[in-house]
Amino acid sequence: MIGVLPQVVVNGILFGTMYGIAAVGLSLIFGTMRLIFLAQGTMIVLFAYLCFWFFTLLGLDPYLSLVLVVPIAALIGMGFYYGIFKEAAALEDKNVSLLLAVGIMYLVENLMLVLWTPNPRSVVTEYTGLVFRPFGIPITFTRLMALVLAVISAGAVFLFLKKTLIGTAVRAASEDMTSTTLMGINPNWVNAVAFTIGIILAAVAGVAMSTVYSFDPNYGFVFAIKALIALTLGGIGNVYGALLGGLLLGVIESSAAFYIPGGWTEAVSYGVFLLVLIFRPYGLFGGSIKKA
Amino acid sequence: MQQIKNYVTADKRYIKVIIGLVLVIALAVLPFFIQDVERSYFIYFLFLVFVYITVAQSWNLVAGYAGQISLGTHAFFGLGAYTTAIVWLHDLTKTGYYFDPVLMLLSGLVPVVLAIIIGIPLLSRLRGDSFAFGTLGVGFILTVVFVKLRTVTGGADGLHIPSLVYSSKLPYYYTGLVLALFSIGTVYFITRSRIGLALRAIREDETSAASHGVPILYYKVFAFAAAAFLAGLGGSLYAIYLFHINPDSVMNLNWLFYPILMCVLGGNGTILGPVIGAVFATALFSFGNIYFARMHPVFSGLLIILVMKFMPGGLVGLKDKIFTRR
Repeated sequence: MIGVLPQVVVNGILFGTMYGIAAVGLSLIFGTMRLIFLAQGTMIVLFAYLCFWFFTLLGLDPYLSLVLVVPIAALIGMGFYYGIFKEAAALEDKNVSLLLAVGIMYLVENLMLVLWTPNPRSVVTEYTGLVFRPFGIPITFTRLMALVLAVISAGAVFLFLKKTLIGTAVRAASEDMTSTTLMGINPNWVNAVAFTIGIILAAVAGVAMSTVYSFDPNYGFVFAIKALIALTLGGIGNVYGALLGGLLLGVIESSAAFYIPGGWTEAVSYGVFLLVLIFRPYGLFGGSIKKA
Repeated sequence: MQQIKNYVTADKRYIKVIIGLVLVIALAVLPFFIQDVERSYFIYFLFLVFVYITVAQSWNLVAGYAGQISLGTHAFFGLGAYTTAIVWLHDLTKTGYYFDPVLMLLSGLVPVVLAIIIGIPLLSRLRGDSFAFGTLGVGFILTVVFVKLRTVTGGADGLHIPSLVYSSKLPYYYTGLVLALFSIGTVYFITRSRIGLALRAIREDETSAASHGVPILYYKVFAFAAAAFLAGLGGSLYAIYLFHINPDSVMNLNWLFYPILMCVLGGNGTILGPVIGAVFATALFSFGNIYFARMHPVFSGLLIILVMKFMPGGLVGLKDKIFTRR
């Protein structure tokens, strides 16, 4: 049993990276708009399909297709914010935003069902079967690439938040939106930037997912919930915690899948989620004040 | 504001009561004027509306009036449905089962027990979003339990209730009507009582309510449990209607999001809002289902977005928007 533990952990971490990227996106959006963007998982699946489309129709390499998918994601993010969320973001009642997200989820999910049928799809390239064996632990190339993408995009987000002016504004807005607005920062612009980055991260997660797993339109909501669990583990509003929370959730899931007889894995992750919510509502990684 | 409005429109209230009574009587005698009741789509449509009103009022009570956004409606609905099926199949109460009030009551009470058990830790520690996601987690755990406890719940395939007892659509229609009226009445009388006052105080400002001596946990759990009761009743009726229940059909997330959509569409935190919303949304879904079968969920998504974008106060709020000039 001990012999497989490292592999279970490594697999968990590799799988958790995708939860992590999605959770970082959720965290950014939550930070400024105080909205849990429930459609995040559905957007991830949408981008996985886009990647699948570029791959099958244009023969574009999935990782290369990021060059196209990311700008599309940025456009969708800006479009969604200015087209749909702008008025709702200013309202005190956050249910309106939440329901808008639910509406987007329904719309996109069912549009995907019509466009791509409910059959599971996957992107199979010549390097899909490629496996490395560092220290005797088999790691597939695509999963490793998912980790690399996660680290790069998370790093980019951290740099953006720390080093750029607009990044600072986003951080300020997630601390206190009212004061930030009083300092002359346009709340819509900050919200739109955070939202767009969230969607771009969904695109990165989508591309990573399309190469590793088979996916279908209905997978999105479950994925959003997993990202939400990751977010809770890391502490809602904490960007660094979100990534760690994702990795942790991955490890929890893969060890639960290995050590507990089949099917109860889901219940374990939701159980952990509930326990953390009740006993550590600000997440496992300390610093409740440290936001974004 | 509400008080002043009530005062001004006090004499109009009788008119409202009369309109309501006429509507109920009309609905009660309607089947006698429809030629082929058993095959009438309209009767089926109204039955669906009644079930949705029951579940929507459940959400309305806990979210609209108490301000606690619950995402666990489908859990209580499903638990009610499963209670009905399990009690029936194991012959536990020795009553008639088919439209048996004891069975339906029991199917309402089991969700109440769950609501109290999970409500106390969740409601005492979690606020706002966290509470919403906690209840969502409960729904997911319950789904896994239903799938995994194969000996009791039949796993993913679910349970089959003996369908030979079916004879007519009419009992469904009338039970649905009674349930819908019961849920409207329950929410009406709760919200017009001291409890309702406390719930609204909690919704507006929890800290202030607590500091004025309102036992907030007690009232929040009460609202949560009462909502679970209504959802469980709806689930029970739907189980008797389906005869075959499984996690896919009764734990479906539509039973969570549609009632929310209906409340918000009609006007959350009002008595009539969920009713109007249920009629409107069910009508739209039915039309969508008939005329563009595969595309219709796309339109319901679009509808949610459009409604939330252009009239976040719902259809009931639309009236105020039109009559109060800015």
